[in-house]
Amino acid sequence: MVRSRRPAKRKASRKATKSDASKNGRAAANGQSGPSRPRTKRRRATAESLAAKQREISVSEFFAKNRHLLGFDNPRKALLTTIKEAVDNALDACEEGGILPEVWVHVEQTAPNRYKIGVQDNGPGILKKQIPNIFGKLLYGSKFHRLRMSRGQQGIGISAAGMYGLLTTGKPVKIMSKTGPRKQAHYYEIRIDTKLNRPEIVNNRGDGVDIPPGEKGAAAIAKHGIEWVEVQHGTRVTIELEARYQRGRGSVDDYLEQTAIANPHVHLHYIDPDNNSREFPRVTDELPPEPLEIKPHPYGVELGRLATLLKDTKSTTLTQFLTGSFSRVSPKVAQRICEAADLSTRTSTGKLIGEKVERLYKAIQDTKIGNPSTDCVTPIGEPTLLKGLHQVVPAEFYVAATRPPAVYRGNPFVIEVALAYGGSTGAQRVSREGLTEMLGESDSRTLRQFLKNTFNGVGAEVADRILKEADVGVRVSPARLKPKQIDRLHEAMQSVTLDEGQTMNLIRYANRVPLQFQQGACAITQAVMNMNWRSYGLSQSRGSLPSGPLTLLVHMASVWVPFTSESKEAVAGYPEILRELRLALQAAGRKLSMYLRQRQRVRDQGERRNRFLRYLGEVATAVHRINDANRDELYERLVKMAKRKTSEADSRFDNRGRRIDPDESDFGENVLIVDPTAPANASAPENE
Amino acid sequence: MAKRARRSPARTKTTNKGRRSLAPVDKRTLSQLVGLADTVSTAATRRRAPHVDVPTRSLSNVRYNKSKRFLEMGKATNRRELFNLNQAKSYMQTMLVASGCKQLIDESKTTSIRGLFYLLKHTIEGTQEETFDTQNECDPVIEDLEVTLNALREELHLYAQTKGAMVGQIVIVDRGDEIDCSRMGSGGYAIPSIVEKDVIQFKKHSAKFVLHVEKDTVWQRFNEDKFWRTHNCILTHGGGQPPRGVRRLLHRLHTELKLPVYCLLDNDPWGYYIYSVIKQGSINLAYESRRMAIPEARFLGLRSLDFGRCELTPSVTINLSDQDRKRAKQIADYPWFKHKKPWQKEIARMLDNGFKLEVESLVSKDISYVTEEYVPERLRQRDWLD
Repeated sequence: MVRSRRPAKRKASRKATKSDASKNGRAAANGQSGPSRPRTKRRRATAESLAAKQREISVSEFFAKNRHLLGFDNPRKALLTTIKEAVDNALDACEEGGILPEVWVHVEQTAPNRYKIGVQDNGPGILKKQIPNIFGKLLYGSKFHRLRMSRGQQGIGISAAGMYGLLTTGKPVKIMSKTGPRKQAHYYEIRIDTKLNRPEIVNNRGDGVDIPPGEKGAAAIAKHGIEWVEVQHGTRVTIELEARYQRGRGSVDDYLEQTAIANPHVHLHYIDPDNNSREFPRVTDELPPEPLEIKPHPYGVELGRLATLLKDTKSTTLTQFLTGSFSRVSPKVAQRICEAADLSTRTSTGKLIGEKVERLYKAIQDTKIGNPSTDCVTPIGEPTLLKGLHQVVPAEFYVAATRPPAVYRGNPFVIEVALAYGGSTGAQRVSREGLTEMLGESDSRTLRQFLKNTFNGVGAEVADRILKEADVGVRVSPARLKPKQIDRLHEAMQSVTLDEGQTMNLIRYANRVPLQFQQGACAITQAVMNMNWRSYGLSQSRGSLPSGPLTLLVHMASVWVPFTSESKEAVAGYPEILRELRLALQAAGRKLSMYLRQRQRVRDQGERRNRFLRYLGEVATAVHRINDANRDELYERLVKMAKRKTSEADSRFDNRGRRIDPDESDFGENVLIVDPTAPANASAPENE
Repeated sequence: MAKRARRSPARTKTTNKGRRSLAPVDKRTLSQLVGLADTVSTAATRRRAPHVDVPTRSLSNVRYNKSKRFLEMGKATNRRELFNLNQAKSYMQTMLVASGCKQLIDESKTTSIRGLFYLLKHTIEGTQEETFDTQNECDPVIEDLEVTLNALREELHLYAQTKGAMVGQIVIVDRGDEIDCSRMGSGGYAIPSIVEKDVIQFKKHSAKFVLHVEKDTVWQRFNEDKFWRTHNCILTHGGGQPPRGVRRLLHRLHTELKLPVYCLLDNDPWGYYIYSVIKQGSINLAYESRRMAIPEARFLGLRSLDFGRCELTPSVTINLSDQDRKRAKQIADYPWFKHKKPWQKEIARMLDNGFKLEVESLVSKDISYVTEEYVPERLRQRDWLD
């Protein structure tokens, strides 16, 4: 009985979502009196009985049921999404306020599968009356109605996170905000009323707590048990939720790392569930230039939107409307649009309805209109990208390329690419303790799967090699490894060279926010895979990412990033975007292949030297046997000479025997080369 | 077991030094070897790149001495440098061979060139590379060392594989054993690789000339028919291209006993070349021509006109390959053939025939045609090419 009722319920609610459209009276199963009389053609429900159940659904209710749309499909992702939304908001707030961002992220385990997340910034703070709305109401925000480059777009994220926390733990969202050193701070505990999409303040009988500035405030903070890092102004949001913390790929650590790369002006403090703190200090003190807000470009406006704009506009004539609501529409362009639409320039906007709007829409598409101004998009910039990447990813060679702005569907955008080559990988850098913890936390069923899922760039082939080297079974469960086996595994991970068979580590960004899921569905991934990396000196099998010790960063900055879903995980593949991606990748690829060629030359030189050294021992021994000369002394002398000889030869000629100018190896400005043999990166496997 | 016993003293060889007094020849060779090693030590001390100048062993560095009528080596040398990527390995190998020879002299032993190859072959420390991959890599290095040190192979205590045999009216002493070459049965006296005076002395002879045939099978025919007894001569073969032992012996018979040398070879470019090597010396061993070339050697046959003259059937001919034609033209161009009309005619006729003839083809006439008619007839008519 129970089983049969369940789908019926769902059907009913789905109907309701379609709102009034479904009154055809297909029966809900509630009235059915069991399977005993299945063939009777009794009406299961009437229009009246259905009408009793038809009512409005609030946004919050909808998202509470469809939380996967917002990125809360599983506990692990929920943790990350919550942190991500909070950090995004924090950074947006700071940048809008013109403040160099400093962000504290604190993840704390309160119970098994339950975590408390605190994220604090030093932003401008939030006014008392706005706090409940921002954190307790879905689709409430400042960013939706404007076209301006920012991380957040809809105003769903943080309140959805709060709602998820409430749903899974029953704990309210705690917010503390302060707008100035001498201003009162406010502390709220808020729960979202999912039925009404309305905040409900819990603490102090619905009033929240005001905290005075200065000494008294400190006492109050202590009294109420508020977590707070003392700053002059800023906001802290604390959410407790059911979650799962896991290291490795797609983890919180990964996300913060990637955020630090793309936002080198941010100082990140991070305390993980094991109470280890990690700092990502800022690399530059320069805030990115403030992005300008623009009006929509006519090409990017759809028919329905156009109708709404017409309805809402304050302008009276069509010309006024066109020039006033869109960018790049001058009176002359407006006139041409009107002519094409066969409408008078002085048509009243109020009278434009139905078929006329359609004509206007068509006319807009057919009229030539200039590209939107592109100064509203602020790329990270090549030097900053290099700094950011260098700070976080240890490698030998870095290159960055920023494309000039381009336009898709009337929205300006910029593609940036940065690439790091060489160096050791995550699998090689991990410590013995870290590995033990990761093994314990992993939900992979086999060790091979664990290696593949946890470490970037470790594919099936490399995983097999590591396991073979470690002499541990492939199908062993990661949690059941004995300490000695872990030792061997750790050693193997350090010693196995990952250069070959290692796939590229691709980090995608949209408006400086790392995209961590749905890599395969993303236009960025498509563009990278469709490029022929072999002509740039990398190996790549058909239709996949290139392999090699590579980290590739791709950033798309736009006033409106076309995501494929609300959880903002993949960029849609407009042809203009794919084209820009390709050009940017090629620019970086060219520099990379230059470097690889040079590196090959250096390696040849080493090879040459080794070849001499190999034979010198034999020569010395032979000579010693004939004339009784001191073998070791002779050997030393020969070695010294060989070194001198090879370096001489190599400085003057390349591998084809041509003379090379020292200038030829000049890479230009957007490149950074780190000597891998420098003591800082002593672990680099160069001198083999 | 034996191998190990031979190798182990190698490791401690210097301690043996001076234990045994060396023959004067060995003393000279040894001092040359030490001189070679010293160039490396001195170069290293003076911080110069060590090198060896190896006389070039190729056609370009070979000169036909018209008055002496044999090939001489020119003065061109190839510099082999240790610090040259392409030469480093062969330099190392040269030194290795030198040290191996030094060891042989120290222990007064001789070994085959294959033995030396095994003596020196080992994995280079710290690599997976072998000092020599094949013997083909080792042999040229040995020849290089011979030329460089101006020492003969036997002086380096090396010998090549024995090839070639001798019977005839001569008595020799080989390492003290008296050998009567007229009583050698069907096998003959195997000519050793080293036939210098200190090994082989000629005791007495009654032979009037030497007949050298190309290969073993023909030689058997002549031996079985006791040609050497009926014609009072010495009969040798070199198993194709004669090794230097055979050539040196022919040279000694010719110069010391004043015996003329006649060659009976196949009528093909290869046969011409064998004759050329016996007469003028080889390009590869031009530095030994002085001791090996027999400018007076004569080419008895087979001649390209023998097909008609001996009334052979077309079924015993072998068609010339493109390679043969090419080789024939090269040989016709050699300076020592170029100005000899009979030779030009001979080669032209062969090319014209379009086939080659082996000595064995004469068997088609009669089994002993070659010994009973062909060779005696040529000798009687003094019909040969020079």
